[in-house]
Amino acid sequence: MSERAPDRRLPAAKTDMFDPGGANTRRRNRNRRLFGWATGLPILLATGLLAILLYDVVTDAFSWQVIEPNNSGVSFSFTDGFRFGGTWERVVTLDLLEQGLSQEEIDETLLDPEARRIYGARNRVELMLWAEGMPLRYVVTSSRDRHLTDLTLAQGFARRSEMEAALEPGQLFVLNPWLDIAFFTKNASRTATMAGLGPALVGSVMLILLVIAMSVPLGVGTAVYLEEYARDTASTRAIELNLSNLASVPSVVYGILGLSVFVRGIGLGPVVLAGALTLSLLVVPVVVIAAREAIRAVPGTLRQAAYGLGATKSQVVARVVLPNAIAGITTGVVLAVARALGETAPLLLVGAAAFVPRLPDGILSIFTALPIQIYAWVSENDVEFTHVASAAIAVLLAILFVLYAIAFRLRRRFGRVA
Amino acid sequence: MTASTVPAKKDRGAPTLSDDHQTIRIQEVPVEESVVSITDLELWYGSFKALHGVSLNVPRNKVTALIGASGCGKSTLLRTINRMNDLVPGVKVNGQIVYDGVELYGSDVDPVEVRRRIGMVFQKANPFPKSVYENVAFGPRLVGFKGDMDALVERALRAAALWEEVQDKLKQSGLGLSGGQQQRLCIARALATEPSVVLMDEPTSALDPMATDKIERLIEELKKDYTVIIVTHNMQQAGRVSDRTAFMHLGKLVEEGPTDQIFFNPRHEMTERYVSGHFG
Repeated sequence: MSERAPDRRLPAAKTDMFDPGGANTRRRNRNRRLFGWATGLPILLATGLLAILLYDVVTDAFSWQVIEPNNSGVSFSFTDGFRFGGTWERVVTLDLLEQGLSQEEIDETLLDPEARRIYGARNRVELMLWAEGMPLRYVVTSSRDRHLTDLTLAQGFARRSEMEAALEPGQLFVLNPWLDIAFFTKNASRTATMAGLGPALVGSVMLILLVIAMSVPLGVGTAVYLEEYARDTASTRAIELNLSNLASVPSVVYGILGLSVFVRGIGLGPVVLAGALTLSLLVVPVVVIAAREAIRAVPGTLRQAAYGLGATKSQVVARVVLPNAIAGITTGVVLAVARALGETAPLLLVGAAAFVPRLPDGILSIFTALPIQIYAWVSENDVEFTHVASAAIAVLLAILFVLYAIAFRLRRRFGRVA
Repeated sequence: MTASTVPAKKDRGAPTLSDDHQTIRIQEVPVEESVVSITDLELWYGSFKALHGVSLNVPRNKVTALIGASGCGKSTLLRTINRMNDLVPGVKVNGQIVYDGVELYGSDVDPVEVRRRIGMVFQKANPFPKSVYENVAFGPRLVGFKGDMDALVERALRAAALWEEVQDKLKQSGLGLSGGQQQRLCIARALATEPSVVLMDEPTSALDPMATDKIERLIEELKKDYTVIIVTHNMQQAGRVSDRTAFMHLGKLVEEGPTDQIFFNPRHEMTERYVSGHFG
């Protein structure tokens, strides 16, 4: 250093350097608080909105109702009581036992599909009765009972005593849990109390498994090729640019593509496979981008080490690059799948059905999926379908939450390894 | 501070290298005693010429040090010997490297095979995020080694003077070892493929003096069974561990010979200035 920096000392301190509670400290503390508020507020806002959404969904998934049972079909007492999630077979069994049938006769009856259909449609384990603080099941033959009033969970708790006081003889004030275990297995129905998620859940699971099976090999393969093998040519760069663009194309466009290529072009029709192919188109670019990032994050020194030991290119990819990128790739796949799970538009275009009365029995069966089912239920006229839709939304949110939790855990594990 | 205020450093006629500089060779190694023989090696990274006609014979079971300022091409030269430079896009090599009678850049030579016979240790310890055992077994597994892997791993770890320290933690991650142990693990990993030549690219530049000392002792041991070529920035290290030293400058081999000659009786003025610490 031949030249000294100009003498730019700090102005003389107004207070002592160590001035707890002095002017400088006070100003800094105030600024820090202001900054904290300014940055914390959006988070608070986002958390608040999320809380409102969850509250809304949950409170809508349960409802207090005034019921006027039509007892002609049911002569059932609550001595036994059902735990949350009992099945209608158990209700029918107890009912028939009370009518004097033996267990063998009942078992035999329940094997007959026609008898099952009739009993199943008539006896639903639906409603909970509030008795001595313990929730018990109330068996309703849904087509005959009259649902007089419908209150949300919060409203019901607030106005419970008032409603109970106003009950006429023969009426019941009950809590109806739309989201119970039976909800997951019931088929679609025109009646809100009998509608369930069965086909939609199975449809979504089939879609997701097919999407993973198709998009992971394709996406990871593309990523490996682009990162490890492709030369930096104009066409490679064009592919890279297009991949980023494809990841941001509106999903409805993929729906149109799926409709014209898979449903009409190949002639698959509106089946699970066509839906899965369309969703794969949506997922592949996201998987490619995530996998490329994960592959790029593998330290070059590890590649060098493997090459230095006499590894061939494919050995380096298989034994060093992919094992070290797997956590990042899986995280990307989980996030992409979570996105596909919630996609509605492409499936609507591909022709997912709004009403599927039974479970899909193969990849060439007509199908529905969770978001489609929710969309269909929300569009129903019957007020009670609002509750069914809310219950389905709660299920969808729970699945997404689980997927994101998995991704979060994987990311943390990935961070520890690197 | 501006540039004009800096006094020119090269004031008293700093020595330069003539364009047609011929490498000064002291007690040259005959080709028949060398394990690696480099002749007129030229190398381009794209349009940049990194090596200008380097010729060097590396004697068997000796330690040869490559020294020179940063960017002089010593690491590049080292990496041509096991064809690691092939991995750099746009690299072009001209000239000859003969190893055990085989022309390494011949059209019928597989670079993968070359790297299995000429091992390499890098500047920064780079164990795989696997167990100590799996790190050492990596090379043999690449070629589908079917023999007694446990014995091979133990032999390699002993040869790298690491066995005593890690025999109880073979199943633990190689990343859990100290920096010096990691570097010796990398040496063991290189030895496990049973090469005859070991290339070391500044193997101790990231290590403390104690760990450096262990590695230097290890290099002394290694030359009984292996030929070692080491790139180093550390003059004392070159002086301590090597039998022969080659000094490079801007892609040219200025001078090579027995280490004591290069250090105490250098022929070229540049070599003298470099080894005495006046430049570079």
